[in-house]
Amino acid sequence: MTAVPAGGGMPGAVRSEWTKAWSVRGTWWSLVGAGVLMGAACLQLAIFTVNANGNDDPADDRGVVALGTIAFGAVDLAQFAIIGLAMLLITSEYTSGAIRTTLQWIPRRGTMLLAKTAVAAAVGAVAGTLLAAGGSLAAAPLLGRWGEFALGTWLGDVLAVGAYLGLISVFTLGLGAMLRSSVGTLIVAFLILMVIPATLQASDIEAVERAAKFLPGVAGTSFMRGEAEAYPAPLGLLILAAWAVAAVAAGYQVLRRRDA
Amino acid sequence: MITLDGLTKRYGDRTAVRDLSLTIEPGLVTGFLGPNGAGKSTTMRMILGLDRPTAGTALVGGRPYAAYRHPLRQVGALLDAKALHPGRSARRHLLAMAHSNGIPASRVDEVLGVVGLPDVAGKRAGTFSLGMGQRLGIAGALLGDPPVLMFDEPVNGLDPDGVRWVRELMRSLAAEGRTVFVSSHLMSEMELTADRLVVIGKGRLLADAPIAEVLAGSSRHRVRIRGPRPEGLRRLAAELAPHGVAAEEVAPGELLLSGTTVDPVGDLAFRLGVPLYELSPQDATLEQAYMELTAGSVEYAAPQGADR
Repeated sequence: MTAVPAGGGMPGAVRSEWTKAWSVRGTWWSLVGAGVLMGAACLQLAIFTVNANGNDDPADDRGVVALGTIAFGAVDLAQFAIIGLAMLLITSEYTSGAIRTTLQWIPRRGTMLLAKTAVAAAVGAVAGTLLAAGGSLAAAPLLGRWGEFALGTWLGDVLAVGAYLGLISVFTLGLGAMLRSSVGTLIVAFLILMVIPATLQASDIEAVERAAKFLPGVAGTSFMRGEAEAYPAPLGLLILAAWAVAAVAAGYQVLRRRDA
Repeated sequence: MITLDGLTKRYGDRTAVRDLSLTIEPGLVTGFLGPNGAGKSTTMRMILGLDRPTAGTALVGGRPYAAYRHPLRQVGALLDAKALHPGRSARRHLLAMAHSNGIPASRVDEVLGVVGLPDVAGKRAGTFSLGMGQRLGIAGALLGDPPVLMFDEPVNGLDPDGVRWVRELMRSLAAEGRTVFVSSHLMSEMELTADRLVVIGKGRLLADAPIAEVLAGSSRHRVRIRGPRPEGLRRLAAELAPHGVAAEEVAPGELLLSGTTVDPVGDLAFRLGVPLYELSPQDATLEQAYMELTAGSVEYAAPQGADR
């Protein structure tokens, strides 16, 4: 019954969440899924690039591409496996009722949510970097002379994918804390990242198209590609980060107000 | 020690817990009784800070649960044994729990041993039977070696051996000076386990007293008389009737008298010359005492006379 005043707190909470994340199959399956999607999409994009450069139509030529950029397009698809992973860190606990157990261990809502956020960010960022590195290197033989490898550029590109997926994971976790349901979180993430931007950009109304560029997925892609029209490209990362912070803050408000 | 002060929880216009004030003392097993929907679980959730009280406070050791850096070292609680990820092994579940409160990992195997689950520690918790799940939940409650323990229906799904084990565990935890607060609807079990009872109905406090006092307060104390002359016994009952004593003839030559004690009945039998073979006090059971206490506050009652 003697209390040792060590451990626990925020570091303990992160360690606890980390242990939990790696002790369920969902995490591993999500990573396997992300690896398969990333690999397949990178290979496909490499084939597209080679074909576009090799066919008779000079209009679609892409020329020599930096190896890392192959991963930018591939992440559009692969991100949903990582989104699943980040989402399950919190929504699976609402499904099973385990959130009440978690809050018994870590009763401070903010600490609990930040610990989960830290785990989501770390897993998303590291997985994103490794996925981009692996996917782009796997695509290299297919690209052949159309692929350009410069270590510095390549590292910058894969790290950009890591930063993007880290923030997307945080954004998803915030959504999960708000919505408490896997299906709901997945639908909202898909709408915000894919459907809404595509719809807005096809609207032919300039203001609406411009607004679409401030959505998290578009902003993140602008940052990774270093191409943006409405704002300097690096700002895209900040816009995505703002979405992620806003989602977690909203999740915290829900957590604080509603009973577990 | 758990201190509730004016604790109230309302869901919309339904009041689940109403102005509950009481102290749950260390060194005792305090049983927490009440019909389904009386507010027992809600009260326990508020003590753990899972639900926010509409009014009032619930303190553990003088502070709100969430104020502790290591809450698991302060309160060990089993609320819902199924509230865990079914895909995580028992050991990893407890390990994550230990990490969160700076509890050494060696303690995990210790408590798995205490609850008798070391052989299935690597198995996924979702494959556990209800009884094994309860044992895992109890292991979690013991993990932080806390001075306060709280169990919601801990013997649910346990076999008779398990029930006895839980009873002895509660008794020994209280004997070590810990506060043990346990809810149950098994009256016979509470009668054996608890020192003190807190009874609530429809969210209100109905009783907060030592178990002996709750039993003594029951009107179901009766006197059984048995003798060879049924008509003599009936005459005896007729003499007692004006003094508010009700008699029930359970068999020819056997009566149950309520509202009196053995002494006046013995005197009267002697005066009337009625021979008795038996004159014995019949103590109320906890179940009877409980039924009387909660008669007016059963939330979900079956219609009278309906057997199914």
